[in-house]
Amino acid sequence: MLFLLIIMPLLAGVSVCLPVRKRFRIELLCGVSLIHAVVTAFFWKQLPAPEFNGYLVLDYLGLILLSINSVLFVAVSFYMLGYFEHEPRRNRIFTVCLFFLLSTVTLVSASYHMGLLWVAIETTTLFSAPLISFYRNQQTLEATWKYLLVCSVGIALALMGTFFMAIAAHDTQTLLLPTLLSNASTLSVNWLKLSVIFLLVGYGCKMGLAPTHSWKPEAYGQAPGMAVVLMAGGLTQCSFLALFRVAQICAKSGLADFYSSILIFSGVLSLIVPAIFILGERNIKRAFAYSSIEHMGILVLGLGLGGAGIFGALFHMINNALAKIVMFLTAGSIAQKYGSARLEDVRGVIRVYPVTGVFLILALLAGTGMFPFATFHSELMILNAAVSTQHFALAALGCLCLGVMFIGIGRIILEMVYGQTTEPVLAKKENLFMNSAIAAGALILIGIGVWMPAALTKVIQGAAGLIK
Amino acid sequence: MTIWIDAACILVVFFSLSILAAYRIGGMIQMFAVQSLVLSFMPVLMHSHALSLRDILLSLGTMVLKAVLVPYILFWAIRHVSMRSEVKPIIGIGSSIVCGALLIAGSFWVSSSVTFPGKIASDLVIPCSLATVLLGFMIMVTRTRAVTQVVGYLVMENGIFLFALSLFDAMPILIEMGILLDIFAAVFIMAIVVNHINEEFERSPAAVKRWSKMGESI
Amino acid sequence: MISLTFYILLHWLIVLAGAPLFLGVIPRVKAVISGRRGPSVFQPYYDLARLFQKKTVYSRTTTWLFRAAPIVALASVLMVSLVVPFCVFKAPIQFTGDILLVAYLLALARFFMIIAALDTGYSMEGMGASREAFFSCLSELTLFMNFITLALLAHNISLSRMIGADIPVSWQMAGPALLMAAGSLFVVLLAENCRLPVDDPDTHLELTMIHEVMILEHGGVDLAYMHYAAGIKMFIFAAILVPILLPWQTGNVLQNWAIFCGGMMGLALLVGVVESTMARFRLNRVKHFLLISFALAFFGFIVALWRI
Repeated sequence: MLFLLIIMPLLAGVSVCLPVRKRFRIELLCGVSLIHAVVTAFFWKQLPAPEFNGYLVLDYLGLILLSINSVLFVAVSFYMLGYFEHEPRRNRIFTVCLFFLLSTVTLVSASYHMGLLWVAIETTTLFSAPLISFYRNQQTLEATWKYLLVCSVGIALALMGTFFMAIAAHDTQTLLLPTLLSNASTLSVNWLKLSVIFLLVGYGCKMGLAPTHSWKPEAYGQAPGMAVVLMAGGLTQCSFLALFRVAQICAKSGLADFYSSILIFSGVLSLIVPAIFILGERNIKRAFAYSSIEHMGILVLGLGLGGAGIFGALFHMINNALAKIVMFLTAGSIAQKYGSARLEDVRGVIRVYPVTGVFLILALLAGTGMFPFATFHSELMILNAAVSTQHFALAALGCLCLGVMFIGIGRIILEMVYGQTTEPVLAKKENLFMNSAIAAGALILIGIGVWMPAALTKVIQGAAGLIK
Repeated sequence: MTIWIDAACILVVFFSLSILAAYRIGGMIQMFAVQSLVLSFMPVLMHSHALSLRDILLSLGTMVLKAVLVPYILFWAIRHVSMRSEVKPIIGIGSSIVCGALLIAGSFWVSSSVTFPGKIASDLVIPCSLATVLLGFMIMVTRTRAVTQVVGYLVMENGIFLFALSLFDAMPILIEMGILLDIFAAVFIMAIVVNHINEEFERSPAAVKRWSKMGESI
Repeated sequence: MISLTFYILLHWLIVLAGAPLFLGVIPRVKAVISGRRGPSVFQPYYDLARLFQKKTVYSRTTTWLFRAAPIVALASVLMVSLVVPFCVFKAPIQFTGDILLVAYLLALARFFMIIAALDTGYSMEGMGASREAFFSCLSELTLFMNFITLALLAHNISLSRMIGADIPVSWQMAGPALLMAAGSLFVVLLAENCRLPVDDPDTHLELTMIHEVMILEHGGVDLAYMHYAAGIKMFIFAAILVPILLPWQTGNVLQNWAIFCGGMMGLALLVGVVESTMARFRLNRVKHFLLISFALAFFGFIVALWRI
């Protein structure tokens, strides 16, 4: 079943290489994403059996990531139906890459072998790079270049880390996760430490954690909104899955404290750095990119704090993805309608596009973790975990950074929505497909914020229970 | 046999150092090609059992891909993007060399604190591969032009490849294939990007100025 | 006492007789490679003989420093040669730490040459002196690094022991380190003796010269001394390098001597080949070349530490 789920988008991707209608490609993407979502929904009832000698296994953590990506793809593909009504550009490479991306993120969710996981994450980088340069101009090419470069380095370091892990696991001769976990006490500690550092830096590059975040504002600022949703909500969290797997191994082999301390360090850095940069920003997409760095910091922080923090981090994974739908799809609509995402060009949205204006306000609330959006709960859980593990300074710093972030983004959005009206370049029209995709994301986010289904709690608890 | 492996390891590090000290992009690529050529003999030298087809295939694959094809693509890229041929370092070449020497010392120091479980062809493989990775990283960070950054990345990959060879018997061939494949894909995509930037130049001369400044903020 | 005097005289005989021959081989190789017949390998002997017959002329602006320099230079390199073994001819003087004597006597010779060049008051000579000082700073660093590596491998800081009987064992133990030491010593040999990639000994363009420009004002016997000192210095460096590269010790004295002489000739040949195939570096690249050789020496030192 898992194999079929991986191979289906791949075949669809190959088929749309043929000269077919532009609209057909997107319709096919909608269809494939829906099938993917339905199959994933069945997995919530019954996890699929392992395949390929245990290389492909879906556990609760993988299920969370798989569901996130499924939802994101459905939202994005429906959004694209509307987006490409006003878009004269050809979409062959773009849609092919989306299909391949769906396939590889499924592979990431299901890979139970550290080497295979690396290969899968590497391929997500390759297929996401062309998405950034959808609009072929100087800035997008620069952004693509930066993304490729930083992520390639990250991927190379992660590979080195995987090799170190292979040496640490010399006795077991395999990198299959269950074998590693059951033989964790026999792993060579020094090699494992080296491995953990390289893996954290490597996957951290891909995730956009603070010292290696420089590609994020560029890439998110230049890529079309729907591509950014998949990157910020899907791909970065794929790397988080890798970090989570490392945490599983560390917890079993007695390196939990070592790993926690470096996770907390990089998490704090990722909270502080974007809070500094956000204040000078005047581009909505770039501002959201800084917010994305902040969210990655929160995830890593939650993982580092352990206990309730892990539950919070996993919940935040879901919320972050849904918030990204609202944030970046709205920003994408704005960028398409005004031909720019800068504050100078976009003002008074509420008077020209009332619905998009409301969505912008929702994006502000969802992205910065306001009630009743579920991001509020998950951020609170992580801050709570910080307090209950005696990290008082950390909790205070977290509150401060989140506050600064709210002010930074609020300043831009409020002026965009209510400022002096500027003229959009596109005809004055809201699109039903685009708006319904955003609305669905917002509604789900509010929904799980107000009432959390028992199934969701069970799955998250199951995933959190993987670390012990 | 060990002396040859030792010599090859040393040469690989030495060429990384020379690439760091190079001041022409063409020279950098040539030295990278020679480094890859040296590296491509390693699978044949390092085999622990009888010489198998797998060793020879890996050797030939590396030779064709890294010593011929990749340098060819890079030369093609610098020919087509009419950029100047000098390397533009952020820190001077002299200080780069001194830093490079310190990085080599550092990688030996790190390697001395870990012991390799099991058999290894030569005790120089791990420190030398680590040094190559670090030197490649340094080339990438301190050289601003796009092609030089690609060369830095490739040097880094060479270091990783050398490291992977020490795990030769423990890991399935999947890993080696993955490495070769991803290098190829990365270079290919980077070449396409460079090519697109070139097209962009032809449309607007103002872009050239931006391009020359680009990368400094990475 | 008599025997020590005898050995010292014998050593000097070898140096004084061998150095011009070593210098003579190089231009011949270069000529053959470029398709000419070239001068006889004995040409340096004729040159020196001619210079010794000439009268010396001194400028009125110079002081005693200018006159002392050639004598000090020749005397120091002759002293250094006593510490260096020439295969079967053991070094007449050996003691712990004599490598320091080697390095500092060479530095003394260089110091006097630089001072003498400054003494002339000719701006070109001053420029050459400053370049000589700068480049020898870098090459001396490399030289010391290599001495440290060799000392580490031989567990001794006497030159005769460092390049003596322990070398074959060291090759077994830390071959790569010795290889790198030899490589960077070769670069030092080229740099210290102003050979081609660093400085062109045949050019007479003051702007780019290093060593030659410093001795422009010397004439007659003084110039002969200077040339002789430079030749002996190169001979000494070669004599240090050859036993590292050719460590074979046969039982037979004659065979050993043949290996040594062959090695020296081979080295002269190699210098000739390098000079014919390489172009001179731009002055601001020379320091990078020397730094690379230092990095190589440093790398060798690390490998020696690693293996020991």
